[in-house]
Parts: sequence; C-alpha cells; structure tokens
Amino acid sequence: MRRPPRKPKARAAALTTVVVLRLYVAGGAPNSLQAIANLEAICKEYLKDGHKLEIVDILEHPRRAMAEGVLVTPSLAKLSPLPAANLVGNLSDKAKVLLALGIKRAAAAA
Amino acid sequence: MLLRLPKGGPEQQAVDAGEIDAVVDYANSNVILLPAARRALREASRRAPAASRKAGDEASIANSVLSALPHEDYQRLLASLEPVTLKSGEVLHEPGVPIRYAYFPVDCVISLLTMMEGHPPLAVGLVGHEGMVGIPLALGIDVSSARALVQEPGTAMRMESAFFREELLRSKPLQEGLHRYKHALVGQIAQSVACNQFHPVQARLARYLLMTGDRARRKELRLTHEFLADMLGVRRAGVTLAALALQRRKLIEYSRGKVTLLDRRGLNALACVCYGIVKAMHDSAYRERGPRKRTAG
Repeated sequence: MRRPPRKPKARAAALTTVVVLRLYVAGGAPNSLQAIANLEAICKEYLKDGHKLEIVDILEHPRRAMAEGVLVTPSLAKLSPLPAANLVGNLSDKAKVLLALGIKRAAAAA
Repeated sequence: MLLRLPKGGPEQQAVDAGEIDAVVDYANSNVILLPAARRALREASRRAPAASRKAGDEASIANSVLSALPHEDYQRLLASLEPVTLKSGEVLHEPGVPIRYAYFPVDCVISLLTMMEGHPPLAVGLVGHEGMVGIPLALGIDVSSARALVQEPGTAMRMESAFFREELLRSKPLQEGLHRYKHALVGQIAQSVACNQFHPVQARLARYLLMTGDRARRKELRLTHEFLADMLGVRRAGVTLAALALQRRKLIEYSRGKVTLLDRRGLNALACVCYGIVKAMHDSAYRERGPRKRTAG
C-alpha cells in the first residue's frame, strides 16, 4: 500500500521548536526596561514561529531569583532548546542576543 | 565596590558598562539596586505609576557634566568612576590639603565653605548634579581654598585625582564641559557676594532652600536653624524669623531640623533675583551644546 505523501505543514511543525526564554528584571529600572524592549523586538522579528517569554521581576520575587541562581539583572536565560544560554545586560547588542538565542544569522533578515 | 562577582566575567563587565540595575547578594539574601536604578525607580514612582523610561533618560537623571559627554568618553571614564554614598557632614576636601577625589554629585548637595578665623564657616557656593566637586583639579591645581562639606546626603560618582587628571588630558569634551561649569560656578559665587551684601534674609533663605532642593532632587532637606545661620552668615534668630515667615505662607514646613519644600513657585516668588540669575548661568552651561543623545550603558 502506498503511503500518502507527507503533508509539508506537518513536517515544518516537527522541525520548528519553541524557544523558551526567561528574562530577570529589576522592576521598572532603566536597563531592565531597555532589555524588555530589545528582547520583545527581537522575538517579534526572529522568533515568529514560536517563543515563550517569561519576565521575572526580582524585586517582587527575590527568593525565586536566588533559587534560580541569578547574579545580576537584567539577565536573560534561554531554557529551551538546549544548549541553555545566559546573557546579562540591557540586550542592546543584537548580534550577541541572537547568538545566545541560537538564531543563525543566515535565517535572520537584514 | 560591594559586589563579589567573578573578576572580569560578563557580569562585572556589564556592571562596568552601566547595563545592570540590580545585583543579588547571596551572602545576605538580598537584592541590591545599583544607585542609578534606585534613583530612576524613585523618580518614576514620584511622577507616575509604571512609568516607562526611554533609554536616554537615564543620562538626564545623573550628573550633567558626565551626561554631556560623548558616549566613548563617558565609557572610558566609567572605568575609573565609582558610585559612593556620601553622608551629611562628610568633608570632601579641606583648604590647603591636596584633593584626593573628584566628585560628580548625583543627588547629594555639597556646600563650598570659606573658613574665616574667628567666625563660623560661610557658604560661598553650592554644588550638585550640575557640576563637580574638586574643580581646581580641572585647572591643574591640586588644592582648594575652600572646604567642601556634604550638606544633603546622597550618591556621587567619584574618581581619584590622578585618574581624573589623566582623563582630563585625553578628553576635550570633558575639558570643555568643565570650563563651562567653572564659569557658571564663578558666576554663582560672585552673585552670592552681592546677594549677601544687599538682600534680606528671607529672600536669601528662600533662594538657598530652592538651590538645595534643586540639587538634592527632593523636597525634604535636613537643615537646622543653626546650620542655615552659619551658611547664610546671619544670626540664628534671623533664620528662625525668616523660616517662620516662610512657614506662615505655607511655602515650607519646618520641624525638628527637617525642612519640607511645599510650594516651589511661591518660594521662587519670594526668593531674590539671584536664584533665577544663577540658575540661568548653570542652564546655559549645557544649553550651548544642545541635547546629546546617549544610549544607556
């Protein structure tokens, strides 16, 4: 019996993975706000397929930040897919952020 | 400073670049906000809830001399600058003693005092975020003729004088910025000479409170009648009467050595013209350059 041809959509879905990110911030402090803005712009442009961004305010949840080993904020943690990565600072260096997120330059527009 | 981050690691680099708001202090199970972030949050909560600040605003919160510098110059200076918390009553430099640090105040206020034998020290100038303490260093001189006394506590960025001299040689914008500040400071002191001579205590008190409040970036100031009397060079009774008059008009609230500025506009109306004149001098020191865009960090 001939197998029905694989639907292209299903194959694409299998290849796409959701990028899971967590950004630790310090309330509405300047660098934290910048990091949020920068990250959201990058997610919008490069992670259209799917991403999960959680923003953790360490002023509201200090114990959680300590349990998760945060040293400074703003601090970005890429949890999935592996390898995990970390980046600290206001995320204004786009190239560095893309590298940490594992987004290949070739796939990125301009 | 206070941080125990891995030496030279990405976290330390980010802190040095000014890209960090807070540090987790595991030893004390505490989150420490760095001074710039603390100030920004305080300002934001004062203005509006959940204010979203643009990147360039960070510079405008800090010190005008530093924030007027081009990005590269400021970054280079950051390496030698450290934020310190200054307490009321600290003396930053004494006349005749080599100046150890240059200070760029952020929200503290420093009184420049002329020491007169047989008389209490007299305030001849006020320095805040519009300028720098240790200005003789910018002239290549390492002593001052005045005492620099911290009047209102707060944060300042400080740099060792040796590094400051080096940085000054390398940065034309820093030299120019300090030339303009020096000019404004001399103008401020000269204006005070005339003000002390001619203007009544009440008007002078209003001016002094406004100037201090501008530099401290807050409404509550810790000032005793005695301290003010010394600063203004008048009898304590004179200050008490003037303060009562201001309080009666609901311009200030004065209790137990704490002055709260209630009505800035009212104080401005009562202050002598010297307040506006000196303010214009300091403002024009920065207006000439035009607004400078600088991304945070």
